[in-house]
Amino acid sequence: MTPATVQEPAFGRGGFAAIAGLLVVWELLGQMHLTIFVPPASAVAQAWWGLVTDGTLFRAAGSSLLSLLKGFVPAAVLGVALGLAMGRFRSVRYLLDGWINAFMSAPLSALVPVLIALFGIRDTVVAATVFLFSFFVIVVNTTTGVRGTERSLVEMARAFGASEAALFGRIYLPSALPAVMLGLRLGVVQAVKGMVVGEMLISLVGMGERLIYYGNTFLIPELYAVIVSVLLVAILSSTMVQACEHLFVRWK
Amino acid sequence: MAEPVGIAIEGVSKSFGTLQALVGIDIGVKAGEFLSLIGPSGCGKTTLLKSIAGLNPIDAGRIVIGGRTVSGPGGHEASLVFQDFALLPWATVRENAEFGLLLRGVPPSERAEAARKALHKVGLAGSFEQAYPAQLSGGMQQRVGLARALAVNPQVLLMDEPFASIDEQTRRILQDDLLRMWQEERKTVVLVTHSMEEAIYLSDRVVVLSPRPGRVHKVLDVPLPRPRQALDVRASGDFARLVDELWQILKKMQ
Amino acid sequence: MKIAALRGASVLAFLALWQWAAWVPVSFNFPTPWATFLALADLLRSGALLQATATSLQSLALGFGAAVLIGVPLGLVMGVVRGVGRVARIYLDLLIALPTAALIPLVILSFGISIASSAVIVFVFSAPFITMNAYGGVRDARPRLIEMARAFGATWGRLFTRVIVPSAMPMILAGMRLGLSRAFLGLIVAELLLSPFGLGKLIMNSRSMFEHDKMFATVAWTLILSGAALYALARIEGRVLRWRA
Repeated sequence: MTPATVQEPAFGRGGFAAIAGLLVVWELLGQMHLTIFVPPASAVAQAWWGLVTDGTLFRAAGSSLLSLLKGFVPAAVLGVALGLAMGRFRSVRYLLDGWINAFMSAPLSALVPVLIALFGIRDTVVAATVFLFSFFVIVVNTTTGVRGTERSLVEMARAFGASEAALFGRIYLPSALPAVMLGLRLGVVQAVKGMVVGEMLISLVGMGERLIYYGNTFLIPELYAVIVSVLLVAILSSTMVQACEHLFVRWK
Repeated sequence: MAEPVGIAIEGVSKSFGTLQALVGIDIGVKAGEFLSLIGPSGCGKTTLLKSIAGLNPIDAGRIVIGGRTVSGPGGHEASLVFQDFALLPWATVRENAEFGLLLRGVPPSERAEAARKALHKVGLAGSFEQAYPAQLSGGMQQRVGLARALAVNPQVLLMDEPFASIDEQTRRILQDDLLRMWQEERKTVVLVTHSMEEAIYLSDRVVVLSPRPGRVHKVLDVPLPRPRQALDVRASGDFARLVDELWQILKKMQ
Repeated sequence: MKIAALRGASVLAFLALWQWAAWVPVSFNFPTPWATFLALADLLRSGALLQATATSLQSLALGFGAAVLIGVPLGLVMGVVRGVGRVARIYLDLLIALPTAALIPLVILSFGISIASSAVIVFVFSAPFITMNAYGGVRDARPRLIEMARAFGATWGRLFTRVIVPSAMPMILAGMRLGLSRAFLGLIVAELLLSPFGLGKLIMNSRSMFEHDKMFATVAWTLILSGAALYALARIEGRVLRWRA
């Protein structure tokens, strides 16, 4: 079963206008006091500022981001390495692609209780969830990138006497780089999702814990504030990876 | 400038599983000769060319280039030019031209020098060096491919339908430039083509292969005077006659 | 043949690793594969698993069904009316980037602890992907085909039903497959948090009772269930898209 790909997001200048429009509508709806579950945007902004100034947001975000790094970096390094191996060597691919595809489409959240059984209720579970959520996307995209290397380039390099190492470093790797970067970008967005899921399920630290807490205590503007913060983390991480992409892939 | 060498193709056969691609091919390419391989689809002309380049192992017979038997790719005598150009999209024109030299471990300054000279020979000097393939037309891309092949100073040039992906007007210009370059460099050239006109216009001899399995069907001499690009050979009656002769041979094989 | 052998070997390796983890033991009460299998059989026999499955599938069907019925037409409209598409995609991009789980407390507050809540969560998890894929499918319809149809005098209606929709079908179906995968994800997170329903509740209960073998069994069952559902959808996709090489 091949997984379906998610389209790449495109935030342009039109994006700002659309978001501004959304904020305006939100504010108006909120002011109409239709329901306590839709506070005006201004109330949310106020709550957000409150969380910033009393340090709550920084503490929570700090813990979250640490877990994000602890999970994503190994996922990226191991994921790219495994993807390269699977792309290059058919035996590795046949051995593992069943597992990879299975994990890609499985509801990974079901595995979090297993992780809790393994690690106990600790922040390590969050890092492990982050790893799980992002690892497979990275592997799949990297493998696709390597396999997509044009046969004629490989043949050309062999014709000019390239060794196996030269073939790998000078043809397969550069050719796969755009796909690897896409995989990392999708992976980091998945990583943030994993971070939130993990934190919500152990309800101990980080922004996920705050979400549960504000939900339980009916502090709705604060709840929205954390939701927006989580979204910002997702967008910022994705943008940072995209920036790296432009550094490495200038030739398209 | 390296001296041209001849190619001896003796009793070469090749099959892919149960499919017999080539059987008993015997061709002697003289040093400095321009030879074309032509034939209907499936006659194995590209397979033969790749075998000369060492990319395909052969099942029987042997291929000797200038005294050395071909046993694998990356030999220093022959260089390959590809139909789809096979340029590295992430590298600049100069880096692409240097690629063959890079793989042979030539140090950077020497590489740059040799690449620059080769680019100059194919008419791509100066500002093109920093461009990327995506920015170039098909004709210019193939010039880069040719420069890459020349930069390693081969004695034999192997060309696999090099102009098939290029529009006809650019193709004619490239053919003339190729002849001009060949006149100066005096390399042995083996060119695979689908075009009868191209085969007659460029070559000293044309080898016609028959399909499935590929055998040498006929060898046609092309005694047209050189330099052909300067003498407007295409307009001559001899040219038309030779093209027609080639067509008659090919037609009978359909 | 060699492929099957390699795959079989990897399954055996997995089981061996699992068994080793239980022997060590990696953590308190870590169940062996056999213990898990026994617990699974037990849960099936007692009917607890099937009951939980029925409840879960109810939420899933409601949420996913709504996501398809709303998402696909919405995506088609987005693709056809370029202006709508350009604006709406920005909101969808945000929804896709957002860790949707963050919305769960809000949904629970608004809709209470009920199957409706689960269904809404499933909807929010899957709808953006389904919509985006339908949009992409329409947008990427080959211009040459559209040109050809118009040259033969096709009206816009005919063009839509006979060229654009069939051409978008692969992406629409792929989007549904992705959406179903996301739906299961959202369902499980919701039920793990919400608990008193479905498979999530079963998992949480077993965990709080330290009946890890039952918990592992339920998790395994959930994975098998989602795998089967996705496989079924993939088969349907294969039948509908028979023309694809």
